[in-house]
Amino acid sequence: MKRIFIDQEKCDGCKNCSFACMQAHRQTPGTVYDLDLLDPKNEARHSIVTNGKGGYVPVFCRHCAVPDCAGACMSGALKKDPETGHIQYDEKRCGTCFMCVMSCPYGNIKPDRVSRTKILKCDFCVNDKEEPNCVKSCPKKAIHVEEVVWEAAV
Amino acid sequence: MKHLIIGVGAAGISAARTILKEKPEDSVVLVSQDEEVYSRCMLHKLISGERDAAGLNFVNDGLLEHKNLEWIKGKTVTRLEAATKSVYAGDEKIASGDTILIATGANSVTPPIGELRTAKNAFGLRHLPDARGIASCAKNAKEVVIIGAGLVGLDAAYALLELGKKLTIIEMAPTVLAINLDAHAAAAYQKLFEDKGVVFHLARKVVNTRGDGRGNITAVELDNGSLIPCDMVVMAVGVRPAIGFLEGSGIKTERAIVVDDYLESSEPGIYAAGDVAGFSGVWPNAQKQGEIAAYNMCGTKWIYDDRFAIKNTVNFFGLLSLSVGAINPADGDEVLVKEDRLNYRKLILRGGVPMGIILQGEIGGSGFWLHLIKNKMRIDNRGKSVWKVSYADFYGTQQNGEYKWVV
Ligand SMILES: Cc1cc2nc3c(=O)[nH]c(=O)nc-3n(C[C@H](O)[C@H](O)[C@H](O)COP(=O)(O)OP(=O)(O)OC[C@H]3O[C@@H](n4cnc5c(N)ncnc54)[C@H](O)[C@@H]3O)c2cc1C
Ligand code: SF4
Repeated sequence: MKRIFIDQEKCDGCKNCSFACMQAHRQTPGTVYDLDLLDPKNEARHSIVTNGKGGYVPVFCRHCAVPDCAGACMSGALKKDPETGHIQYDEKRCGTCFMCVMSCPYGNIKPDRVSRTKILKCDFCVNDKEEPNCVKSCPKKAIHVEEVVWEAAV
Repeated sequence: MKHLIIGVGAAGISAARTILKEKPEDSVVLVSQDEEVYSRCMLHKLISGERDAAGLNFVNDGLLEHKNLEWIKGKTVTRLEAATKSVYAGDEKIASGDTILIATGANSVTPPIGELRTAKNAFGLRHLPDARGIASCAKNAKEVVIIGAGLVGLDAAYALLELGKKLTIIEMAPTVLAINLDAHAAAAYQKLFEDKGVVFHLARKVVNTRGDGRGNITAVELDNGSLIPCDMVVMAVGVRPAIGFLEGSGIKTERAIVVDDYLESSEPGIYAAGDVAGFSGVWPNAQKQGEIAAYNMCGTKWIYDDRFAIKNTVNFFGLLSLSVGAINPADGDEVLVKEDRLNYRKLILRGGVPMGIILQGEIGGSGFWLHLIKNKMRIDNRGKSVWKVSYADFYGTQQNGEYKWVV
């Protein structure tokens, strides 16, 4: 499966990836230039956290081999795609219990702050044929995609 | 090998899926009282009419159509014979296997008070027929009494409010959601329900019922003598592991089935997972136990060590809460509270280690608390406010790109 690899030292916190993620998942038409960065509807699916020492820690979904989020999901809305290995979310199935939010140890799932009837998580830009938009947009090449063996073991 | 699984809930289904993934040539027989597969966590959505039974199905792959899987539905196991690893319904032998997984979950407790056990209009809420019974009885009911203001009681309340019923909720504890939240966070939910017209009687017990002489309860009597008229009663006072059919089987039980670190019972080759194993009463843990038991049934030894189960999320009317670990401090604990118009946050620290957290309002991205609390990780030495700590403070990657925790 494909996974986004992170070179933490290369990240300078420019957050181009976050804007790209917001733009890729916005519900309204438009370009990144008219993207409302403060609109909670446009939240990014990952976070860039300052480490307090002048550096940054990019925290992106790992699409884990043994995903605690999907394991916690009582509706079947979260599922590891048997083909791509990515954890995909089916909004229609979701029962909005938010156990997945609690179960992701890296804090990569959040309830949609506006509707509170769905969650926001990385979908690996499943509808784009190319690399995820965050990866494409990083000027420092701090994130890149690699093929990894997906062992479905505990 | 043939594996017999009793129950098609969180644990039974995840075990079946794991076995057929690990050993595609093995076969699985599922036996269940349930006639359908559904998520119990969504039963209230059937009562409210939001979803039909098919909409509660949580199986999202072709598992039940797998060629090596047979599902015998609608059969209640009444006896298990350990020596031959067979199960019976009355005198009828239903199935046998080389290994057995007991994943029968739990049943709602019916208090032996008045006519609660026998009345036609009194229901627990655990199985699909319960939800159907409630929905159908609700058609002719105006006033409903709910006994118990825990998560299941409030789920029922939410659904019955959607149907426009007048509700009275009676709870023994002094607050609602007493197992999940502290008094402050619980009060916020109580208010939301009260705003919709629900009347609460907290720190009160039901001591008797009045009936119409034809098997229907018409009122419940409280320990202060007051009478609350009703057309229907929902009981949500807790659950008991479903182990009745194990009597005489030789399988050791206490309140639940007694299992070892591998989730194996006192009888070799017979395992238990989920609510019936007594470690937990939440979905994620039942699912995980089903997976671990399955590996052990296939001969790969896995220890069940992630036993932490004091965790829950609450969502009513869009007010979200997350609660992990202790909800109230022990002597000597440090309690930190942060509050604004939209949020209430309480953190209990012992020697710099988080023992419990309650987040109400914003809960996005807060999953790391579960990891910190269950692994007793110190957070007071990260060079920043404990409220700013997150996974990023423990960041590290493995060769395959997955994260690890660096202390
Ligand atoms: C209304 C409600 C809301 C809930 N909400 C949440 C929530 O939001 N989050 C959460 O984490 N948890 C929630 N829970 C708890 C959660 O549903 C359980 O922890 C979970 O279902 C346990 O799974 P299990 O596989 O152990 O048992 P169950 O899901 O109870 O499955 C038991 C299976 O065994 C079968 N069975 C039982 N006895 C027999 C027998 N004698 N013979 C044959 N078959 C038998 C049953 O038919 C069923 O198929 C909720 C529960 C309820 C009732
Ligand atoms: S909020 Fe939805 S996706 Fe998350 S665990 Fe609950 S049902 Fe599954």
